[in-house]
Amino acid sequence: MRDDPTVVALVDRARDGDRAAWDEIVERYAPLVWSVCQRFRLAPADVDDVGAIVWLRLVERLDSIREPAVLPGWLATTTRRECLNLVRVRSRYTDLDDDLRDDTGPASDHRLLAEERHVALRAAFADLSEQCQQLLALLFRDPPTPYATISATMGLPVGGIGPNRQRCLEKLRASAQLAALLDTATEGR
Amino acid sequence: MDPFDDDRLLAELGAAMRGAAQVPARFVEVGKSAFAFRGVSAEIAALTHDSAGAALAGTRAESAALRSLTFVAGAVAIELEITADALVGQVVPPRSGEIELVGPTGPIATTGVDDVGWFALRPAPTGPVRLHLRTADGESIHTEWTTL
Repeated sequence: MRDDPTVVALVDRARDGDRAAWDEIVERYAPLVWSVCQRFRLAPADVDDVGAIVWLRLVERLDSIREPAVLPGWLATTTRRECLNLVRVRSRYTDLDDDLRDDTGPASDHRLLAEERHVALRAAFADLSEQCQQLLALLFRDPPTPYATISATMGLPVGGIGPNRQRCLEKLRASAQLAALLDTATEGR
Repeated sequence: MDPFDDDRLLAELGAAMRGAAQVPARFVEVGKSAFAFRGVSAEIAALTHDSAGAALAGTRAESAALRSLTFVAGAVAIELEITADALVGQVVPPRSGEIELVGPTGPIATTGVDDVGWFALRPAPTGPVRLHLRTADGESIHTEWTTL
C-alpha cells in the first residue's frame, strides 16, 4: 500500500555508496524527522542531536534494511524513541507526562500517514512545471494570494487561473507515489 | 464525496511545503554528513541496556552514576556509567586496548583500556557519540550511536 518505488531505488543506490542518493533521502525525510521531534519538549540543540543519531543509525543499517518501503515508519519510530530517550535523560529520570508516553496506536499511525503524504506531496510538487509550481505556491499561501495579484505576477488572465489551478492539481494527483497515499487517506474516512 | 478534492489537496500541499520550510538547513546538513560513516566494517555492539530507557527513578540514589549503558557484540560487552564529570567504562571480559570516542564530525578523544578492562573519559561527553574499541589482540568493535 505504501510502497514507493522512488524510495526503494534511492536506498539501493545509497547502499552502493551513491552520496547523491543519500542526500536525496535526507532531503525528502528530514521534515518528517523534524516534525516528529516537534511533538516533544526538547531544546533546539537536542532536536539536532536526535536528527544526527537517526541518520547515523540509518547509515549503519542501510545494508540490513530488507524492505526500503518501510523507511518512513522506521524513521518515525527511531526518532520518537530517541526523543523519548533524551526527554528522560534531560529530565533526570523523573516521570514522563502521559501525553509523551502515549505514542502508539491509531493517532500515531494517522500522523505517520499524514507525514508520508507530505513527503509525497513535496516530491510530486518538485516534479511539476515551473509555471505550475509558481501558480500553486501563490494559491496555497496563507492567506491565499488574490487572483488579481496572481494575474499581474504571472501575466495570466484572471479567467485562466481557475482552469490552470485545476490542470496543475491534476498533474500533482497523477504522481504515482502520491496517488497511493491519497487512496489510503480516503479509506481511513 | 472525494475527501481529497482540489481545495483540500491544495491546503495539504501548502501545509507540506510550510512544514518543510520550517526545517533548519543545518538539520538537513547534519543528516547528509552522516553518510561519511558509511562502510564502517568493524563489528557493531548493540545497546542492550540503558538506564535512561528503564523505569529506574526509584533506584537512582544508590549510585553516583547518572546513567548506565551496556553494549554487546558477540562475547564482548562494553559497560558504561555516566557520572557528573566522566564517562567510565569496562570491557567485559577484561581486555586491554584503546578506546576512541567518536562524534558526528569525527573522533573526539582517545584513551587507554587497562589490563582489567577499565577506561575513563573526562569530561563526560554529551550529544551523539559512539565508542570504537580496539583491543590489544586486534579486535575492533564499534558501539551503536547513542545520545548522551
